[in-house]
Amino acid sequence: MSDRLLAVTESVCPVCLRTVAAQRVATGDDVYLHKRCPEHGAFKTIVWRGLETYFQWGERGSRAAAPPVTETPVERGCPHDCGICPEHRQHSCCVLLEVTQRCNLRCPVCFASAEREDSDPDIAEIEAWLRLLQRHGSPVNIQLSGGEPTVRDDLPEIVARCRMLGFDFVQLNTNGLRLAKEAGYAKQLADAGLDCVFLQFDGVSDGVYRRIRGANLLAVKKTAIMRCADAGLGVVLVPTLVPGVNVGEIGNILAFALARVPAVRAVHFQPVSYFGRYPAAPADRDRITLPEVMRELERQTDGMVQASDFAPGSAENAYCSFSGKFFVGGNGRLHAAAAPGGGCGDSSSGCGCGLPAADDAAQRARRVVAGQWAAEAAEAASPDTPGIGIASFEAFLANHRHSFSISGMAFQDAWNLDLERLRECFIHVVSPDRRVIPFCAYNLTSASGEPLYRRPHHECALA
Amino acid sequence: MTEKNAAGPELACAKCQQALVLGKVKASYLGNSFEVDLLRCPGCGFVYVPEALALGKMLQVEQALEDK
Repeated sequence: MSDRLLAVTESVCPVCLRTVAAQRVATGDDVYLHKRCPEHGAFKTIVWRGLETYFQWGERGSRAAAPPVTETPVERGCPHDCGICPEHRQHSCCVLLEVTQRCNLRCPVCFASAEREDSDPDIAEIEAWLRLLQRHGSPVNIQLSGGEPTVRDDLPEIVARCRMLGFDFVQLNTNGLRLAKEAGYAKQLADAGLDCVFLQFDGVSDGVYRRIRGANLLAVKKTAIMRCADAGLGVVLVPTLVPGVNVGEIGNILAFALARVPAVRAVHFQPVSYFGRYPAAPADRDRITLPEVMRELERQTDGMVQASDFAPGSAENAYCSFSGKFFVGGNGRLHAAAAPGGGCGDSSSGCGCGLPAADDAAQRARRVVAGQWAAEAAEAASPDTPGIGIASFEAFLANHRHSFSISGMAFQDAWNLDLERLRECFIHVVSPDRRVIPFCAYNLTSASGEPLYRRPHHECALA
Repeated sequence: MTEKNAAGPELACAKCQQALVLGKVKASYLGNSFEVDLLRCPGCGFVYVPEALALGKMLQVEQALEDK
């Protein structure tokens, strides 16, 4: 099969992490990233299976925009100057705050867990991070992440602090254990101002959870969703897709989500990426690329969802994501809505917690709903009416179709890292030394597990 | 109709001191109007929206309209 050069870019050597030239090359219908390190040789990794969508996604073009504030000078070149440097080409949109490195699960693939409580940043430090983000000017969504953020008893206070400092969309990335086990916890977080729960949700069978997370968690996930629904918290299900483990459950995950609308607002798929120690390069068969996720969605829903319903995300590099907006019909089936697009937050591609902007606004409105409604007298009172009547609301709701988002985001690791994509990354992390670092650079580790930015004991193999 | 008992006729308008009475009210949001029966003040027209309604069906309607 003949190779065809599609584009030149840059990457890193997965062994020594030095920046190297790279090419996107089509072989048959597949796109590979080719690169060569003068010291450690040649590497080739699958990045996109499906030339038709590769070209479609490329048509969207770049939405590059210079960050309003940069704090680190360009010295060694991308990705070695993060913080953010002037060569970055996208604003922060969603910023992760890792409020702890501790966790209440022991995933076989993850190294986070056993640290002491006193390793957590205190509230004053988290406030310093928030003030740093305020100085960056443009408003950002906050995602509280970890570790498992809910191991901190002061999490509601952290949420409230975010809101107090003017961050008006706060989401929680969680495994759901505490939400499920502690009645009233979801409401506590909602009362503190939390908007949305980004719930790790890898499948609809316990076998999947045992493989990926080392425990039977399906019942926990169901309870967590129920508790969020009761507390009025929107939920986005976030499956990490691992070939040979849960790719066959994509359709069932979607069906599970649709049965729980409107509590569940979206499903956001994340193909597995390989952070941590890998003596041998992960095989291409251990990777699933975004077009395959779209095709599986079509196949596993018998065409209810079509691959053609999806488009690239909004402001990030086109090849980082796909997203589609749907309506849930009265029969529980999905119907494609208008094609996604527009600015940051309109997309479900990882910004805005997988929620379209309208839902974001709706969540905020929860706190002020009565004040937003204009009410006026229609006619004189009829004293013989037996009680308040809201039949018109009920009739409207019965006919209304809820909106629902399906999206996917491909994180990058040392093998498939494309610096053109990294420079347009809008999901950032505040590091312990108070720098703002693009997500995939922050989590990048060499094949031996040596991190580019993160300290070794914070390694995690799953995004 | 779940608010029938909670929103009893003993409620009075804080401004006018008049007892609230049931009446037809047109609630509008984002260009859509709904006619509902709610308690209102015969003096100033103040409309009482029970919390459960504001955070329940009314919020759902609002979200639905925003989703359009």
